[in-house]
Amino acid sequence: MSKACLNRIIENSFIDGPGSRMAFFLQGCNMRCIYCHNPETQCICSNCGDCVRTCPVGALSLVEGRIHYNKDICIKCDKCLATCKNYSSPKCSVVNDKSLVQMIKKNRDFINGITFSGGECALQHEFICDVFRAVKADTDITCFIDTNGYMGHSALEALCEVTDGFMFDLKMFDKKKHEKLTGLSNDVVFDNLKYASSKGLLYEIRTVIVEEFTDDTDEIRRIAEYVKNLNDYSYLRLIPFRPFGVRSYMHNLKTCSKETVVNLHSVASEILGNRVTANLL
Amino acid sequence: MNGAMDIVKNVSTDWKQKKSQLAAYAQNSLPYVAISEKARIYMENGMMDDLDEGHAPCSPRYILPDYAIFMKNGSKFLNLQPPTNLYEAISALQIIYNFVPSVTGFPVFLGKIDELLEPFSDTVTESERVNLLRNFLIYIDRVFADGFVHMDIGPKETKIGRLVLELEKELKKAVPNLSLLVSGETPDSFLALAAETALVTGKPYFANDIEIRKILGDNYGIASCYNSLKIGGGSYTLVRLNLKKAAQSAKNIDDFINNTLPDVVNAQCEIINARTKFIVEEVKFFENSFLAKEGMLDICNFTSMAGIYGLFECVEQFTGGLKIGYDDAANQAAIKIVDAIAENVKAIEGAYCKGTGDKIGLHAQSLIDSDKDVTAGVRIRIGEEPPIFDQILIEGRLQRPFDTGVSDIYVFDSTAKRNVEGLITIIKGALKNGIKMFALGCSDSELVRITGYLVKKSDIEAYNSQNQIREDTVQLGANSFQNQRPLDRKVRSVV
Repeated sequence: MSKACLNRIIENSFIDGPGSRMAFFLQGCNMRCIYCHNPETQCICSNCGDCVRTCPVGALSLVEGRIHYNKDICIKCDKCLATCKNYSSPKCSVVNDKSLVQMIKKNRDFINGITFSGGECALQHEFICDVFRAVKADTDITCFIDTNGYMGHSALEALCEVTDGFMFDLKMFDKKKHEKLTGLSNDVVFDNLKYASSKGLLYEIRTVIVEEFTDDTDEIRRIAEYVKNLNDYSYLRLIPFRPFGVRSYMHNLKTCSKETVVNLHSVASEILGNRVTANLL
Repeated sequence: MNGAMDIVKNVSTDWKQKKSQLAAYAQNSLPYVAISEKARIYMENGMMDDLDEGHAPCSPRYILPDYAIFMKNGSKFLNLQPPTNLYEAISALQIIYNFVPSVTGFPVFLGKIDELLEPFSDTVTESERVNLLRNFLIYIDRVFADGFVHMDIGPKETKIGRLVLELEKELKKAVPNLSLLVSGETPDSFLALAAETALVTGKPYFANDIEIRKILGDNYGIASCYNSLKIGGGSYTLVRLNLKKAAQSAKNIDDFINNTLPDVVNAQCEIINARTKFIVEEVKFFENSFLAKEGMLDICNFTSMAGIYGLFECVEQFTGGLKIGYDDAANQAAIKIVDAIAENVKAIEGAYCKGTGDKIGLHAQSLIDSDKDVTAGVRIRIGEEPPIFDQILIEGRLQRPFDTGVSDIYVFDSTAKRNVEGLITIIKGALKNGIKMFALGCSDSELVRITGYLVKKSDIEAYNSQNQIREDTVQLGANSFQNQRPLDRKVRSVV
């Protein structure tokens, strides 16, 4: 039996891959994107207890040095998340693969598939492999992974054995700006994109459109051309930036305008045709 | 209240609405059909009611004429020959709809419109067909301005069925109410168009054709809000039981099931049978209705309906506040109660109820505008819905004994518009798990499903500003907005 640190479950998602999907957001991330809209998924809780003191309803307590979260009385004000200097959440839970698989199978009539997201879910790839194998043993539910693409080759190989498709972030084509945006180089991401693509598993590449970085026709053109040269099947999805949840200076940026998204969508479409999709606001 | 004078002077109703309200007022000046003292007390103290059908009904509450017979034979009474092309077919229907009695004053069933019109669809050009259908739908919305006027399509995909969905998406009107019967014969392409339409307009309902057909046979229709009844038949009456109120007089769940339910269901069925016999034996409806004389109605297809509501509160009372959908103990109690209600209703002979095997039909009633602090039928309280799949699984089980109408409404956020494939999966999953009528809405839609019918948010605002509105259901909707908070339904959001 394997275990994972889970931030939350969205049991009915229409935006985490094809069809109706149940999405699992695992805790912990290896990137530190300055536009991260759920920074509370970045780190594992250090049990410092700061959030216990600011919770207005006493839903949090320290029991034998560990945070205890009482979801029955939580009013979902998210004050704990704002308090946490560690970019974590006291509401995470440790789940085992058996209970997760049981929940998935109970709802199998309502979903086309499941998706692991995060945080960076590939950090807990062994758990994902166990869940996917168990689900695939006796259902036709599809298993997808939403990743920032930053993982070791052995993890990627293992995931390719069990997954039906990846949604890969390509946060920036420009290497220097990628480092500025995420804290890490995109070399590993490109290597992994190439490998997943060669396996026929690269369902979608995702780029967030944000001021100063990706709201630029040249940048989007480069990404679209890269996707075109990579294979003939992956989708490119353009996602407008929204400031909700962001903690860096980008919190003060406005939501990416519809006009910008439409313009960049048409730039990418000239290269990729109907393989480009965009979340229009 | 000055009764008739208040009706006459109401600035929010037009003359037609005033006439209908005056007629109801006059009917209620007659004595109530003969019922026992106990039943009368239950009617007075709010344990049960007949939804303002009136003291002395002169026709059945819901009528589903067999329009296929009309299309084949024409009508002697209406001096109409059988139609030979789409112009004549639509004109014939527009005429006969005006002669279908109902409790609302409007026809609650417009027929399986694709089956009725498809044979004529190639008698005109494609552009004529679109124009004819568009004007037909506009006629229905303007002339039968009532959200309980119900049209059916499906399960097969047809030119007319697709056109109805496409035009409804374009017209965005609350009337007519619409159901798509869904079975293995319904292709995904047709379901997808219906789901896209529902995200814009809140309709159609997705009716579980496989399950309903098992109960009522092949020739049934969905009428009024979401009632499943035999075509060529209908329901004489609907008397509903308030389970929240009934629970208050019981010591515990066993006392409720063993003593309270047999007593109150007995009184409820007594009222139903008394009203039914009045319509058949004293009004002699079937002897003077041209619909019956010309074969469009047959007393053997009729039934009556015993409605219930407030199961959610009833279960809360017996489980110390546990909620259906969240606690297994509450779910088990709910199942026990609905099964016991069905057993009690089906133990009693239903007068002239051949349409449902000489037993009264069971119906999950979806509230009226004045109801407060009580939940519709076997639904979960608005705003307290559990995760959607948990809700569907328990409601699918609770809906099992209801043979003449039960439904719930699920509201999705706008991301569903980008992923209709996913939405179809959920609809099919819900029907597979026993949901009989699946309604869906989108949180950004202008049309809101109140209980069984639709209204426009802008019409409610206009009504509240004392403007006259054509649709009776807008007035009902305005009151329901205040009392039942339909906009607070949990949105299935992914943000």
